[in-house]
Amino acid sequence: MRKKFGIRQILLLVLILICLIVPTFVKTPYMLGIFVTTFYIGCGTLAWSVLGSLTGEISLGHAGFMGLGAYIGALLMNNKHITPWVGMLVAFVVVGLLAACLLAPCFVLSGPYFTLVTIAFAEAFRNLFTNWDYAGKGQGILVPLKEQGMYSMRWISKVPYYYIALIMLIVFYVILRKIDRSKLGYALKTIREDEETANAVGINPFKYKFIATFISAGLIAVVGVFYANYIGYINPDIMKQSQALNYVMPAIIGGIGSITGPLLGAIILTPLSEFLSATLSHIAGGLNLVVYAVIVIAVILFRPTGIMGWFDHSKFKKKMNDRFDAIDAKLFGKRG
Amino acid sequence: MAELLEIKNLTKNFHGLKAVSDVSFTVEKGSITGMIGSNGAGKTTVFNMISGVLTPTSGSIIYQGKDITGTKACKYTGMGIARTFQIMKPLRNMTVLDNVVSGAIFGRKQLNAVQAREYAAEILEFTGLYDKKDLYPKDMGTPYKKRLEVARALATDPELLLLDEVMAGLNPTETDEAVELFQKINEQGTTILLIEHIMRAVASLCQKVVVMHHGEKITEGTPEQVMNDPYVIEIYLGKEED
Repeated sequence: MRKKFGIRQILLLVLILICLIVPTFVKTPYMLGIFVTTFYIGCGTLAWSVLGSLTGEISLGHAGFMGLGAYIGALLMNNKHITPWVGMLVAFVVVGLLAACLLAPCFVLSGPYFTLVTIAFAEAFRNLFTNWDYAGKGQGILVPLKEQGMYSMRWISKVPYYYIALIMLIVFYVILRKIDRSKLGYALKTIREDEETANAVGINPFKYKFIATFISAGLIAVVGVFYANYIGYINPDIMKQSQALNYVMPAIIGGIGSITGPLLGAIILTPLSEFLSATLSHIAGGLNLVVYAVIVIAVILFRPTGIMGWFDHSKFKKKMNDRFDAIDAKLFGKRG
Repeated sequence: MAELLEIKNLTKNFHGLKAVSDVSFTVEKGSITGMIGSNGAGKTTVFNMISGVLTPTSGSIIYQGKDITGTKACKYTGMGIARTFQIMKPLRNMTVLDNVVSGAIFGRKQLNAVQAREYAAEILEFTGLYDKKDLYPKDMGTPYKKRLEVARALATDPELLLLDEVMAGLNPTETDEAVELFQKINEQGTTILLIEHIMRAVASLCQKVVVMHHGEKITEGTPEQVMNDPYVIEIYLGKEED
């Protein structure tokens, strides 16, 4: 356990500081928008990771849970004038519980069968909302920009959203790190590796899968509330299974099995897809998607464990650790 | 010696196939008891019933005077029963230390994550795996993987340790080391019930041996008694032609 302050912590602080001052340099809404998208996709990926990476249950229904959260936030604001901040809390609890209760009977299913069930639930929700008058049917609902400010979480400028998304990302990451190193994390990882072993050391798989689903779906519902207010318009299409891939792909590319991997994947993939669509799509329609797909396929083919999976076992990591330790020793003298 | 575990008329049918039929034996507190028998004799099935993976068709399992038949598998470490698997099941994407931490957290000691890491390090020291704590199971040879299975089970702080062929595939030197380890575990007060094929290990470890054949217990006794039993010799070596 490294609790001491060293070069790694300094680098992390510098990184956070850079993130904090980005809006003073980046002025165009388009560029800032890419940052915001990266951050909330990162949050979504981290939320997905609780179930996908830690527990090893691949869900393709998370867009559905995110959409539920978005609807809860938007409807509360529009019809009851309840601030989205409270909406986030409500979405976390309601969607978390709903998802956990719905998926609980399906925990006995493993692998692809569980994944299919998650798709089915998301589709069911999408159909429900497409036909539900109160939720605006297929046209969706607008979150009108009547008043700007903290209470309504609505601004014309993208800068406040930038900071909210950044803070949300940091909070999500810290939560996941905490889970990863806690009793819950060990339970989930043991279940992921082998359910029979989990039973044999005294872990009740059902109980912990329930908790994991609750946290995972709850967190992504919080992202949904943010999304509704950031975009200002939601419709049932955001619950599509293809939308769920936005959160699954970064995790797979970054490396399922760690916490940093999914985050790294989001930071790489979202700007990459934006960059490709900006540079390639006017040459030939859809070319950007082809290149994007080729990159993703290449990573999956040659680095099936993802970027972090490769990094964790590489000599490069050891070298970097040694380098950092050397700098630590020089800067702070020998300790521990 | 008091009885820690009592198996009474245990029977298990798989759709008409009698895997285990009417097996009874006892395990004394503080002893090492062995179970031998040819492949398919039902040894692992008995183990699976004692550790709650399978529910017996009939019969009962009495542990510390309490009937625990049919208890859920995840409740056993809390009662002080831990097991290893015949087919090694290391937690592949977790380090050796984390493998053992899992056992330590959810075992009888009710440790938190930080205490569990310390306790797991102790267990690794005890089982001779400490210098491999940061490796992944796939980077270690079979003897160490088998040790890891034992270490994880041991980290749950068991009263009764069930070992399912943990010495299979080891060479004689490694077997001796394993025997030494189990003696050390036993000296610390843990009762052991083990399935084993290597007679040398069984003979040097066990005070009592239960012999199974075709799902039935055919005899029990000290290793010498059992190995000189004509029926056991017949099963193992075949019948002499008249």
